[in-house]
Amino acid sequence: MAFEITALSAFGLIIIALAAYGYKVSAKTAEDYMLAGRTIGVVVMFFFVLFAISSSWTFYGFPGLLYLHGPGYVFFIWGSVAGFAGLYMFLGPRLWALAKINRFLSPVEALAERYESKGLRMVLAISILAFIVPYVGIQPLGVGAGFQALTGLPTIWGAAYTVVLLVVLVLLGGMRIVAWVNIFLGAVYVTALLGSLIWIVQAAVPGGLPGAAQRIMEIDPELLSAPGPYGEFSPVLVAGTFVVGLLAFSWPHVVIGAMTARDKHLFKWFPLLVFVFGGLFFYIIPFIWGSLVAPSIIPPAELAEQAAQAGSTLEIEADRVVQTVITRNLPAWFGVFVLMGVIAAAVSTAAVQLMTSSIIVARDVVQGIFKPDASDRQITAWARWSVIVIVVLSLTVSILDTGLMALYLTDVSIPGFAQWAPALVGGLLWKRGTREAAIAATSAGVIYLALGLLITPGGSRVLLFDLHPIVPTLALNMVVYIVVSFLTPEPSEEIQTQFFDEVDEFLRSES
Amino acid sequence: MREIIGHAPGRVYLAVLLLSVVGMMAFIIRGGLETAAGEEPFLLFGWMTMSLTVGVAFVIVWLIAYLIYFFFFWPYR
Repeated sequence: MAFEITALSAFGLIIIALAAYGYKVSAKTAEDYMLAGRTIGVVVMFFFVLFAISSSWTFYGFPGLLYLHGPGYVFFIWGSVAGFAGLYMFLGPRLWALAKINRFLSPVEALAERYESKGLRMVLAISILAFIVPYVGIQPLGVGAGFQALTGLPTIWGAAYTVVLLVVLVLLGGMRIVAWVNIFLGAVYVTALLGSLIWIVQAAVPGGLPGAAQRIMEIDPELLSAPGPYGEFSPVLVAGTFVVGLLAFSWPHVVIGAMTARDKHLFKWFPLLVFVFGGLFFYIIPFIWGSLVAPSIIPPAELAEQAAQAGSTLEIEADRVVQTVITRNLPAWFGVFVLMGVIAAAVSTAAVQLMTSSIIVARDVVQGIFKPDASDRQITAWARWSVIVIVVLSLTVSILDTGLMALYLTDVSIPGFAQWAPALVGGLLWKRGTREAAIAATSAGVIYLALGLLITPGGSRVLLFDLHPIVPTLALNMVVYIVVSFLTPEPSEEIQTQFFDEVDEFLRSES
Repeated sequence: MREIIGHAPGRVYLAVLLLSVVGMMAFIIRGGLETAAGEEPFLLFGWMTMSLTVGVAFVIVWLIAYLIYFFFFWPYR
């Protein structure tokens, strides 16, 4: 136990030291704190974004679901790869140019100005915060599960450790140091994830990956194809999961990353890293872990028995099956290193989400609505202190909600994030999109989603027609946006010039 | 996106991406990922399941299309 505590303390101190250094070298302006002074280059941006989206979910929730239900859920990843690349290919350049020309500090601010509406600013800010805040809380709890699997300590210890790191990092460091620390955290994470996979295959999987597949074929061949052993991932659900992934372009903490870019050339190179490093390498590691290696070493039936004996459930144990396999088969010191990787993943994601949330609170809610004449120093201070409130709120919500980690992400947060997608895409690309349409569509989508998730007689989501929550809600949102846009007067010439013509000119001329 | 729609190579690029998404959806909906009764699951190289193989192919299509368009035709390159 002493070794584990010492190693994790040293790891935490490195992160705190980096945050303190970031505070020392920062320019102490709102633009520097919130958007890293718009100076992030392509390599830092890639690791910043990749590890902002690769949370403890990549180590627990994702392989956990594959372990239980077979490989169908991986279509969320294929959709996400296209979605993230799409953000940087199709929307990123315009959003970046628009924010740079007009000194916007948040994407919500950019849309509020585009649609000339404080009401929309409030609607977008509240809806984004409502769906991002619980997601932040999942990260410390994910680490807590790993702590428990490794050390036997209650989940709350790991969660508390992660929260302290998060708060210090975001309070002191701001967006620049969050981006840079993500490189360190990402390196630890990739080493842990890949290193553990290679080692475990050598140590505990005779015949390598084909051997693992053969073993699964003998114990439960349904784990090797959709719909999986429980028939969960039907063609309709897999298709829906793929669509959910495609909508990754609307994740607010990823969208804001585009605003920190140094120049437009970033948008040319960034997708290359997404496809090659993200799609063809990084996400395949947890896929192999969850769909092949873990079930071949601990078959789900065996884990179910152990869960029942321990008073747990198969779903909970599946969420931490990777950590369990490592703890049982590899030396104790390596288990600690892997847990560091998980902490790195959790902190890197939650830090960006916290930054995004605090920017929205300070810039869009406090300054945008209540105190328009706030100084630069005041906005930065509000952003910093809102971090603590958001952390407390998010942990409370996550503790109250006992849903599966992976399903929370795909069933609640992502459908929620998607509700601002029509206003975002229309605002950046369609001159005809109007204020009334953006307000009506976003409100309708969010209200429909909330009612659909809350009203479930007999466990059935009747209002959502038992479809994936994103499908009917986003369809309604899009229809409302388009119809209302055509029924209301088009935006003024001035707005069209500022948000379209000037942006085109800037992108063609800027080098 | 507006600059991509605005010229022929951009429209071809978007069409390729759209077709790949539609093709993927069609493959999924038609049950391409499922194993017929009495048959063994598809395994490329002995371990790559159909879900993985199809996904890798999808990413490669997007990668090739992106490389050609963004490095030779993108107006802001």
